Amino acid sequence: MPEQELKIPEKKEIAPPAGEFTREGSYYTPAVDIYETPQELVMLVDMPGVRSDDVEIDLNNSVISIVGKVPVFSDDSRELLTEYCTGNYFRSFRITEVVDQSRISASMSDGVLKLTLPKLEKAVPRKIAIQSA
Amino acid sequence: MAPWRFGSDPLWSEFDRLRRGMDDLFTALTGTRPFAAPRFGALPASLWAQGRLFPLLNVRQAGDVYVVTAELPGLKSEDLEINVEGDTLSLKGERKPLELSEGTSYHRRERASGKFHRSITLPNKVAADDVKATYKDGVLTIRLPIEKAVLPKHIAISAE
Repeated sequence: MPEQELKIPEKKEIAPPAGEFTREGSYYTPAVDIYETPQELVMLVDMPGVRSDDVEIDLNNSVISIVGKVPVFSDDSRELLTEYCTGNYFRSFRITEVVDQSRISASMSDGVLKLTLPKLEKAVPRKIAIQSA
Repeated sequence: MAPWRFGSDPLWSEFDRLRRGMDDLFTALTGTRPFAAPRFGALPASLWAQGRLFPLLNVRQAGDVYVVTAELPGLKSEDLEINVEGDTLSLKGERKPLELSEGTSYHRRERASGKFHRSITLPNKVAADDVKATYKDGVLTIRLPIEKAVLPKHIAISAE
């Protein structure tokens, strides 16, 4: 099998959904991986250029919204080549799994946000012994 | 006066054919129909994007230094290899796939993994010994000072 080569990630600019952002600037859709383990749901969000202080996570009516702010860079340098644009990130998901909303944790490293959403105790599969009547 | 029948005249049909050809070329290059209202988030992969290699690079010139940046989230600095030779900068690396334990299942998988290798020719030779690279918050920044020998020299005129 040939080595898998990385393809250009398409940076999709998004139209502000239901209500514009108060802050000016463009917003992009970050690429997301979501996987599920028996105990939890894990989201990995690619947000290069976002510091851990500049991430806002908001949970409202089982909709989790992630905003990553990229500081606007400006100096007197001259642009020679511009292949990608920078901007803020926004994405939201409706959480359909039963998640313990009070124990959601997040960490940011190397431009990747990791959100851990532990499942509610009752949603963790458990073997139930059937009693014979 | 005869009504002007648009489109039936051989001149106009030739013009239409040319216009359609130009539109198709424009669409192939940019991924959008010319004069079409921009559709957010739904642009198909265009030839422009297909013709480029990962990672996308931005190059700026700040004084006598070229600053190359690339968005490479989730990499370790040891997975990156940067080489400079004359006026050529080459980047090599790998974004490793996640290793998931048994019993996990993906709901969504959008973040790509794999190897990449890209070279870029800068407008001038750079001083390879003074190149500095930093990797922070998923963004790689390489600062390449232009070699002294190619910088313009100021020559003072001495009075005799």
